[in-house]
Amino acid sequence: MTSLEEKASHPSTLAMKYHPFYKGKIQIALKCPVRSYDDFAIWYTPGVAEPCKAIQKNVDLVFEYTNRANTVAIVTDGTRILGLGDIGPEAGLPVMEGKALLFKYLGGIDAFPIALATKDAEKIIEIVKALEPSFGGINLEDIEKPKCFYILERLRQEMRIPVWHDDQQGTATVTVAAFINAVKFVGKRISDVIVTLIGAGAANIAIARLLIAYGVPAGNLRLVDSKGVLHAEREDVDKLQFQDKWKYEMAIKTNKDRVVGGIPEGLKGADVCIAMSRPGPGVIKKEWITAMADDSIVFACANPIPEIWPWEAKEAGAKIVATGRSDFPNQVNNSLGFPGIFRGALDVRAYTITDEMCLAAAIELARVAEEKGLSEEYILPTMEDWEVYPREATVVAMKAIELGVARIKKSRDEVYEEAYRKIKIARDQTKLLMEKGFIPPPPE
Amino acid sequence: MGGIQEIEIRDAKPEDTNGIVELVIRLKRLNEEFDPLFKTRDDIAIHAKKYVESALVSDESVIVVAERKGKIVGVIKADIVDRIFYEPRIEGRIRELYVLPEFRRNGLGKRLIEVIIEKLKNRVDMITAEFPTLNEIAIRFYNRLGFRGIMSNYTIEVRK
Repeated sequence: MTSLEEKASHPSTLAMKYHPFYKGKIQIALKCPVRSYDDFAIWYTPGVAEPCKAIQKNVDLVFEYTNRANTVAIVTDGTRILGLGDIGPEAGLPVMEGKALLFKYLGGIDAFPIALATKDAEKIIEIVKALEPSFGGINLEDIEKPKCFYILERLRQEMRIPVWHDDQQGTATVTVAAFINAVKFVGKRISDVIVTLIGAGAANIAIARLLIAYGVPAGNLRLVDSKGVLHAEREDVDKLQFQDKWKYEMAIKTNKDRVVGGIPEGLKGADVCIAMSRPGPGVIKKEWITAMADDSIVFACANPIPEIWPWEAKEAGAKIVATGRSDFPNQVNNSLGFPGIFRGALDVRAYTITDEMCLAAAIELARVAEEKGLSEEYILPTMEDWEVYPREATVVAMKAIELGVARIKKSRDEVYEEAYRKIKIARDQTKLLMEKGFIPPPPE
Repeated sequence: MGGIQEIEIRDAKPEDTNGIVELVIRLKRLNEEFDPLFKTRDDIAIHAKKYVESALVSDESVIVVAERKGKIVGVIKADIVDRIFYEPRIEGRIRELYVLPEFRRNGLGKRLIEVIIEKLKNRVDMITAEFPTLNEIAIRFYNRLGFRGIMSNYTIEVRK
């Protein structure tokens, strides 16, 4: 246990050494040549006036003449940074930069951290809407719930570029991919499995929605929150109708068996447990896992410590265990989702990212792992299997075209090659900067 | 999800008392969520029961329930009020209306209103509904059905 703790604290020590050394994780780099100062007359005034005028006539040309189609704004109000809570926009900035790094390295996307000095939902909506002309997409990051649901819903309705909240759609996409393969591996049917979701936060509500879209009957889901298993007649359901209508919807349509009680009652006889609740260990007890159905599947995704240690879940009878950690097998890792999904959405200039597009990405993600051969310890690709990103990009883009939410049409091959190339450039550029010493080696 | 087609709407009977009491308590607890001046008493169950029992035998009250497979899933209660100063004179005042969450958005609330109007139409000149000013759900519901505000009930606390 001590070694695990040491292992977990190691990145924290390095982070405090490296952050002040590099003073940030991203920077702006040029995309066009500067052969001499004469080129400035092309890239800036007077030459630049021509593309300006062309865009004025046809506003969609902005995607042809600028970098807009490759940009994402990472927006936070600092109210729910990691598991640290409301620590303020400045304190959230390192996370936003980290996210921008992942966007670039894994998806070839230029993402800009934008930490706002307001927590007012209406103001956030107004500000983000006003950013629309500059960006190809919006990534809402670490905003507290239920505000995050409301902001996402409003912005998705009112903006003509994709708006994404990774804690909802991103986590849901990757989790559903893991779910698909895990259920397949144990040989159960999607229409039969009972799925207990522990925690009814942003992630699990979105996971429930995506599972239903995938074909799990809503009545087979059981959501457990701090007050116990959710069901239509629970005392507080009336209140949810106006305080958290997303959870209210789930209260009404899930749990057809009317299971009441807490986590143990919710897990009894269930085939799958998806825990996105609070750090363990001990949030889920071994005997509760034992009381699940045979060949049970347990995703214990709280960070930094899962709700139950993977070996405990295994000892208790779980066939497949996944966590949020990279040092255990089957990491449910958001970074497997958003870079590829945004890549695909941006490359066909999608207006939005729908649940269908997320589901397409989840299915493709599952397929990549399946092609490599599923095992108890391999139900999801890892970030090293990086062909996963162009492949996700491709299915997302194709789905966007099919749904009529893409501004431009491309063939499957075109999308794949473009995505592959852009992601490879981002990786190669980083390598080159490191080789040339522009990104110096870290301090000892 | 509750199937609305299996729901029967009918006059309340004495044996429905407990089911009605349960829904009335849920309604009052919902009111509490909107306004602390509607904080429910610890012994609300006793009073709710007496209230329902006396309404069931009163000529001045009408209670209609929605029943599904032996279970009360919705209730409406209206009282006959004589408006001694005004015309029109006889008012049917809806004081309780509650539908369990899973049976909402099926038009059941509206049907309960229609049924009670039908039952009262020979006895009253107008129908009103009474609910806490801050209960947004009720406000939206009655506005949608074409009701409008007629009487205001203001408060100031004199003792904390």
